[in-house]
Amino acid sequence: MKEKKNIPAGKRILELVRNNAVPIMFIIICAVFIPMAGFSPSYLLNEIITRMGRNLFLVLCLLFPIMAGMGLNFAMTLGAMGAEIAVILVADWQIWGIPGVVLSMILSIPFSAFLGFICGTLQNMAKGREMITSYIINFFINGWYQLIVLYVMGAVIPIIHASIMLPRGYGIRNTVSLLNMRQCLDDLLAIRVSGVKIPVLTFLLVGVFCLFIIWFRRTKLGQDMRAVGQDLEVAKAAGINVDRTRIISVVMSTVCAGFGMVIYLQNIGNLPTYTGHAQIGMFCIAALLVGGASVEKASIGNAFLGVILFHLMFIVAPGAGAFITGDSMVGEYFRVFLSYGVITLALIMYEAKKRMVKSKAGQMLANAQKEEEAAR
Amino acid sequence: MKTKRRVAFSLLLALILVAVAAAMMVIGRGHTVYFDNKTLEDYQGQTYKAANKIVVTVKGEEVAKLGPRERGMSIWIGQDFKMVLEITQEKGGESEIREIDLKLPYNVDGIVVNLPALLAGLPEEAWFSEFVPAETEAPEEEVTGDEFGLDGGMGLEDELGLEDGLGDI
Repeated sequence: MKEKKNIPAGKRILELVRNNAVPIMFIIICAVFIPMAGFSPSYLLNEIITRMGRNLFLVLCLLFPIMAGMGLNFAMTLGAMGAEIAVILVADWQIWGIPGVVLSMILSIPFSAFLGFICGTLQNMAKGREMITSYIINFFINGWYQLIVLYVMGAVIPIIHASIMLPRGYGIRNTVSLLNMRQCLDDLLAIRVSGVKIPVLTFLLVGVFCLFIIWFRRTKLGQDMRAVGQDLEVAKAAGINVDRTRIISVVMSTVCAGFGMVIYLQNIGNLPTYTGHAQIGMFCIAALLVGGASVEKASIGNAFLGVILFHLMFIVAPGAGAFITGDSMVGEYFRVFLSYGVITLALIMYEAKKRMVKSKAGQMLANAQKEEEAAR
Repeated sequence: MKTKRRVAFSLLLALILVAVAAAMMVIGRGHTVYFDNKTLEDYQGQTYKAANKIVVTVKGEEVAKLGPRERGMSIWIGQDFKMVLEITQEKGGESEIREIDLKLPYNVDGIVVNLPALLAGLPEEAWFSEFVPAETEAPEEEVTGDEFGLDGGMGLEDELGLEDGLGDI
């Protein structure tokens, strides 16, 4: 504490800026773009609140693997795929409204848990390279998903309704309508404050999930995850079943991603069968990083701030693009390239920080050795 | 002992989830109910005339105002369908209000109710029929997406059916 007080204010500010470079950058971008886009504050607030309800659950599910030191879980997409299969079945069975949402969530659990287990097991085989492994597993499982949805559903898995089946008699259409499920969670208990719709139930669900995360961190399993995240070898020496703990963290993440995807889909009101899950992981990870999280550290606050900033940028970018160049597509490309850019930046910063810490430790060790030799 | 308790807890949790799922399947089954204000001719030698006007209210919301030979519809979740009918038999005549409770069959999506037959208290076979959508030749649908799922528009076009790719995420 004393040491912190001795650091000059300028250096402290510099350190603060360095540690929060990404959120500060996004705050500046948003501050510049908002007046250019010309949206009214109530419109922006409405959009932000809608998107928070839609995306927060998905972003929060990324916290478990980070807790276990497995980095950013690109494989949360697997949970989204599990949820999509569940939603297709529920849509075919004509279960509507809140019961449809609840049934989709329950039905997604076995799919997501199974895929999460596979992913966790494979990641354990590639320790130290979890992120790239999970990213490639996405493509692998996406192939299986497409095979099931395109050829097995309707041919082996019975699909009754022609409205969701391809005209050839098997396979699922490009878009499945979820009109009878649309915004049923968001509308129940929703309140309007000066034109801004607040989806109270969805926020309650997010709140319960946040409380669960806080509680979970204090449980034995949560402590084990944190220990594994800090140091694998030390955790192993302490008697923690490292592999099992890591698998559980991925399974929890994918299962919660499945729930999040159901919330997301009920808000959108339709299911893009073949592309709905494709970018979910990427955007959620980008949002979390924008909130100031890193590969090894993330909090609930990062998730909230990230969703607000990232989606604020998403809302205003096309308008700002149109203002600057006269073409809203420039803003569209801008927001897409920024989301990839922020992930790249975060990964580079993580690697640079790791190297800096390593070299600092090496220097300290060398100095200590020199001092020891001099003393002799 | 600890393992036994864990297994028992897991089984109990699975059982609860299955029970909740089963309950959701029953209470969440959606139906589309169509109301026909159509004269039922020659049912056991009798004709049941369509009313001049029938106003159908479901869950406090007016869903249809039917003249003779007109059809209205409403969606309903669950099997216990309730509606309130305001019936005016003759033009300029007094209207009568009736509350109707119907038990909808679980496995039927679209149900057509002939209101004159229902109001006359005829058996189910007289007023109930299944709605069968007309089969139309749909154009062959092409499945989009490249082999790696990386479309140029990052999947944004499909969302909300927007063609300009400005969809939400």
